Amino acid sequence: MIDALILEEIADLTFFFGAFIFMIATAFAGLGALRLALKGEAVTSLMGVSALTTAAGVSLYIIQIIFEVEFARDTAIALLILGSVGTIIFARLFRMEEGE
Amino acid sequence: MISELFVLIYAIIIIGFVAWNIKKGSFVIEPSKLIIIIIILSIITTFILSYKIDIYITIRSIAKILAGGIMFAGVLPMISAGIGLFRFGDEYGPNIFYVRNHITGVIDTTASLVMIFAGLLIFRLDLVAVGFFFFILIPFVGNALANAYYYSYQRRLRE
Repeated sequence: MIDALILEEIADLTFFFGAFIFMIATAFAGLGALRLALKGEAVTSLMGVSALTTAAGVSLYIIQIIFEVEFARDTAIALLILGSVGTIIFARLFRMEEGE
Repeated sequence: MISELFVLIYAIIIIGFVAWNIKKGSFVIEPSKLIIIIIILSIITTFILSYKIDIYITIRSIAKILAGGIMFAGVLPMISAGIGLFRFGDEYGPNIFYVRNHITGVIDTTASLVMIFAGLLIFRLDLVAVGFFFFILIPFVGNALANAYYYSYQRRLRE
């Protein structure tokens, strides 16, 4: 019937392909975000860069999980946290009028 | 051969289920009920398999299969968001910014939810912590961007 080796193989293969296809989909969304970042005005570019940091951060985290590249996790955490916080700060700067 | 076939059928079922729900506009099975059904089915499968296989290996393997399923479920929203970002250009007027803001919100939310639930299932608490922190930050980012665009647009109209 089914033994431990086959079950572990099925689990590993499912997780690997799930993570890999999710990474490809994230890269596609990142391409859309890159297009948004390279055209348009300042706030639209900021939004595109924010989505791009998200896509890059999640992809790097998945790379760390499935390929066990240890330094990718630190880069991913920095991208995810600093990307969001930096977006909020720059949006506040854009919102402020001159002399406010 | 069995494992590749399993992955293919599993991916088709999950992506098809997500596509069906997106097409209908709402979840046919409520997500809360669906999660309970999945948990009960996983427990039953674990008990059936644990007669022959070590219980620890069984739980770890089924959790890993569920984590793979969550990643398959995140594929379609990500691709839809990418298509949307390519599709909605500047020809739709100034208010298209808010549509794009919503689409980037979909990217962020999908990424953070996949990180949280996949991290819970593969017992990686660092992934859960980063995903949760990111999940908390998402609404603030969207609000700050929309606010900045609104006031800069009003300023340009005045000028």
